[in-house]
Amino acid sequence: MSTVAPPASSGRGRRSSPMSWRWGDRLALAAAWIAGISLCVIAAAIVLYMGYRGIQYLRPGLLFSRPQTSADQAGSGGFLDPLLGTILLTIIGIALALPLALASAVWVAEYGRPSWLARVVESSIEVVAGTPDIVIAIFGFAVFQLSLLAPFSFTAEGGGVFGRSFIAAGTMMSLLALPSIYAATRDGLQAVPGHQREAAFALGKTRITTIRRVLIPSVRSNIATGVTLGISRIIGSTAIVLILLGSTLRIETEGAIPGINLLRGTGSSLTTYVYENSPAGEGNAPQKAYAAAFVLLIFVLLLNLLVDRIGRAQERSTGLTVAGGVV
Amino acid sequence: MHRIRRLSVALMVAGVVGVAAPVAANATSLVTISGATSSYPLVSLLAAKYVKLHPGKVRFKIAQGGTTVGINDVKNGHVTIADVAQEPTGADAGLDFYPIAKYAICVVTNKANTLSNLTPSEVTAIFTGKIKTWSGVPGATATGAIDVYSRTAVAGVLTSFKSLLLEGKSVEPSATEEATEGLMRQGVESDANGIGFLSNYQANKGGLNSVSYNGVACNQTTAASGQYAGVSVFFEVTKGPAGGGAAAFINWIDKSPAAKKIIASQWILIG
Amino acid sequence: MIERLRKPWPDHRAERTLGAVSLLIGVGVVAMIVFVVIRAWPIFQHNGLSWVLGGGDFETEVNKMTAATTNPPAAVFQLRAWPLIYGTVLSSGIAVVLGLAIAVLSSVFIVELAPARVSRVVIPMVRLLASVPSVIYGLIGILVLVPFVGNHIITTHEKASVQNVVQLTGAGLGVTIVILTIMITPIMIALICEALSSVPPSWSEGAIALGLNPLRAVRAVTLKAIRPAIVAAAVLATARALGEAVMIQMVSGGKTFSPKPVDGLVFFFEPLRTLASAIVDYREGVGSPALGPAVYSWALLLLFSALALSVTGYLVKLPLRKYQTRG
Repeated sequence: MSTVAPPASSGRGRRSSPMSWRWGDRLALAAAWIAGISLCVIAAAIVLYMGYRGIQYLRPGLLFSRPQTSADQAGSGGFLDPLLGTILLTIIGIALALPLALASAVWVAEYGRPSWLARVVESSIEVVAGTPDIVIAIFGFAVFQLSLLAPFSFTAEGGGVFGRSFIAAGTMMSLLALPSIYAATRDGLQAVPGHQREAAFALGKTRITTIRRVLIPSVRSNIATGVTLGISRIIGSTAIVLILLGSTLRIETEGAIPGINLLRGTGSSLTTYVYENSPAGEGNAPQKAYAAAFVLLIFVLLLNLLVDRIGRAQERSTGLTVAGGVV
Repeated sequence: MHRIRRLSVALMVAGVVGVAAPVAANATSLVTISGATSSYPLVSLLAAKYVKLHPGKVRFKIAQGGTTVGINDVKNGHVTIADVAQEPTGADAGLDFYPIAKYAICVVTNKANTLSNLTPSEVTAIFTGKIKTWSGVPGATATGAIDVYSRTAVAGVLTSFKSLLLEGKSVEPSATEEATEGLMRQGVESDANGIGFLSNYQANKGGLNSVSYNGVACNQTTAASGQYAGVSVFFEVTKGPAGGGAAAFINWIDKSPAAKKIIASQWILIG
Repeated sequence: MIERLRKPWPDHRAERTLGAVSLLIGVGVVAMIVFVVIRAWPIFQHNGLSWVLGGGDFETEVNKMTAATTNPPAAVFQLRAWPLIYGTVLSSGIAVVLGLAIAVLSSVFIVELAPARVSRVVIPMVRLLASVPSVIYGLIGILVLVPFVGNHIITTHEKASVQNVVQLTGAGLGVTIVILTIMITPIMIALICEALSSVPPSWSEGAIALGLNPLRAVRAVTLKAIRPAIVAAAVLATARALGEAVMIQMVSGGKTFSPKPVDGLVFFFEPLRTLASAIVDYREGVGSPALGPAVYSWALLLLFSALALSVTGYLVKLPLRKYQTRG
């Protein structure tokens, strides 16, 4: 986490003991300890409680059975479709975000002329990063309701474009992942020492070839970190799915062409499944909500571990820290 | 080596899509429905049964949102059929109302509050805010302030409740307005001082205390016999006469014994 | 032709292509603002700018909008959305102030005070808190915190005292602030920790050499040096708090009400609605002719707040540039 080694604490003799401090300082010390420890306690409480509820309610069958409509919500099946929905959205989101973010990061870090354009691109990505999910969702809905984009969802009889589909939600999800991948790649590229580029140029390579063959491979772990951070943001997003995915319990395809009909179809994700089963949705099945939330939490924990691993592997191999710091 | 990696990524994506796509259905004509949350369970069951009996013909997309949202959607051409839980009003010109079932509106309290009966004047007084504490309600075992739960303005059940059981008056503005029947049930179930109103299907699911109105219990029997006062109708509403898949579905509900069986299980048959 | 594409490109073509792709993002951001403005225009047309003020009955206005069909008369568009803005400012403001205090204390704890074993545990916990999806926070809020507050903390007397105006169910300002603080504090901790550890230790050692105890040294020297980072953290946290939609919708009580501070403790139990949670509440009406523009106007306000925050953060950091530390 720190790039500068802190001074070695060499025993009690060096630092003044808190017993000699004024009362105000001792209170501040206590407050700092309480703040730090209580955050840990809260984090642990959340994980333990979700784990307890999850183990109580999660059956392996739920992961593989499809949701059903039934008069009695207890027979309402599992959450296979929401699970697939989450995975599909992540794939679409990353597939769209990765090329865009890579291209922009490479252009800003390696070319960047004219400089006003580079600043525009930087600021735009900052704006996208700072925009709330719900605004991105509303914007997506406004865009995909245009008749121009009717092929991307479906048109109801009477002419209204539905505007909600996997491709609509996936496109907006890519906006969520874009800033993470861009920042990680750009920081990684900027951290590559100049002599690597100069060596490539000395060998007669053009700039673009250097980028393709030398620089991008060397920032692979940065890109991986950015992608993983983007994935965890996509998985955790509820607002976009609520507004842009059509809230059908099962994945419903649209049209006749296989593959495309899935993209045009509607469905749900783990997050909306949790939301709909909670008292804020229909309130009928908090047990299912807990089970799905537990699965969601496991995903997020695994992604966290992955980021950690990548970061540590990067540090060992190049001695540089991956952009991202503590979080 | 690059090609192998690219190929494996493509195969993985194709794999997920390939698993997900056959998992999903793919039929010909599409009927979209939106509207009342009170008739949503009934219409979902009917649609599921219809698809089972007539596979490959029609596909349904059923959303909720409330009666008024459904009416607006069908007027704007966003959906084929609107689920409506109230009688047609003058503003619904150009729409065709097809009744499919009757339902009863029950006043409900929390399970711990074993209030057995309310007179019409008591119901009006409670929901309009004239009586504020449970001590003013004879027969109630709850104590303290009355927490009134109502529905948002788009709900057909609210409109029907006001005209049938509330003598046309409005619910007090400080009442909590829930967006769906499920949320209303959830609210009253978790609030010991709560009182609200639900369609009989939701009210008699267990977990709530259903209150008799003017001495008449709220259930299918009393509603069918006409004894219970708060009986309204579920309609399927289309813009102009129903056509195509929608017409076939509505006709099937009207005529088929399988549909009648579903309706009779929790609701009341028309006529 | 594929062969021509697969051969290494000349630099100028690569630069231009990458630049064009990067420009797409700028175009996208502009498109987002334009779309939302166009959709929200009817509200501005009929209310001018006064729709952000108070005075009307919000719920009645929204009900009229929901019931309206195509080409509604002008009176239907009347909107006074001040309760939403008040709710947003109240919840986000208190959460950010609380969170900043906790974050600074915790960061000082993690970087300066905690022994290495403890910080090795605390840091992953903080990272975990930051990555938990908001719907899980909302689930725990609505299934655990809200019933607890409603049944065990709010007294009957308190309920009766406001009964003529609003019902207290446990979901309200208090639970919203608590969960919002827990959500945004880890983000601030990450930034402040990174900044704290990049301050050269010689600075605080100088202060200690002059006789200050370590805590005072931190307060006098290090905290002042990382003021840009604290500002950045506050800006980032405010943006996150403003945009939080789904979690707040689940625990804020679902009634458009302006909590009154004069009510004393009951102030924290009163329900509220924020701009973002209102968008989630009324998301079904986004396609309708009158309610749609209202929802888009709230989204526009959120978008402009996010933009204004970035600009403010940048401006506040400008005079602090004279401190040479990174971050």
